[in-house]
Amino acid sequence: MNKEVFLAQLEERLSGLPADDVAERLAFYAEMIDDRVEEGLSEEDAVAQIGPVSRIVEQTVAEIPMAKLVRERVKPNRRLQAWEVILLILGCPIWLSLLLAGFAVLFSAYIVIWAVLISLWAADTACGVASAGALAAGIACVCQGDGLQGLAIIGASIMLAGFSILLFFACRAATAAALHMTRAIAPGIKSRFIRKENVR
Amino acid sequence: MDMQLKRGLLDVCVLAAIKSKDSYGYQIIKDVKPYIQLSESTLYTILKRLETSDMLTVRSAEHGGRLRKYYHITELGSKRLEDFKTEWQEIVALYQFVTGEEDKK
Repeated sequence: MNKEVFLAQLEERLSGLPADDVAERLAFYAEMIDDRVEEGLSEEDAVAQIGPVSRIVEQTVAEIPMAKLVRERVKPNRRLQAWEVILLILGCPIWLSLLLAGFAVLFSAYIVIWAVLISLWAADTACGVASAGALAAGIACVCQGDGLQGLAIIGASIMLAGFSILLFFACRAATAAALHMTRAIAPGIKSRFIRKENVR
Repeated sequence: MDMQLKRGLLDVCVLAAIKSKDSYGYQIIKDVKPYIQLSESTLYTILKRLETSDMLTVRSAEHGGRLRKYYHITELGSKRLEDFKTEWQEIVALYQFVTGEEDKK
């Protein structure tokens, strides 16, 4: 990839950022490439040393605070007309409540995921405790002379213990997945903001 | 290395790279390279951060028919480097405490 293609790709991928910010970043990378070329590298090698555009975009997204991205995105490209402002204010009971409802739905979906996880962990704990209880009851039965029934209860307790161990691993994997998802939310939202023009 | 720790150290490294004389992006990368890994995008963020916190100033100068940005350390930047030396004494003491505690076990 030569310098021109690299810078064009970078510009396109960063198009959601403020224009002067993008220009400054592009100038910075252009200088980095020029300095390497001056040292005797080819343009292609210089670009390769700087690394793939996707990684630069990823790091840039991670470093810019969410608030700045949102502010840039929300900022209208022109001043609003008076009638637009009036419409916005008059329409506020409709759009504001819809917006809030939308957020509420997303938020409750997220809560539901964690609620399911908590129930799974509770079920697992219950199995474990029940298994220990059944084991004690089974042993008591055997001691009291009721051997057959005692053995049956001990067997059930072992089955429960096995089930609870299996469930434990399932719970752990599900929790890890949920945590992973939670961590991915912020970068996910950010990258939507940063690439507004390309998505449409 | 821990990300937070590395971030703080990188700021100081970049300041150290422009301490004796003004330097430019690629030169800073080359100077710091033997000691700590520093990518272009990270350097950009650091330079911006140091500029907004008045630890360095930027000027553009012509070089080989194009403009190159040179970074100059300010008094505040030099002070940051001095502070780093004192802070490091504390970190060394902390390190000895941590390793000392481990040896006792």
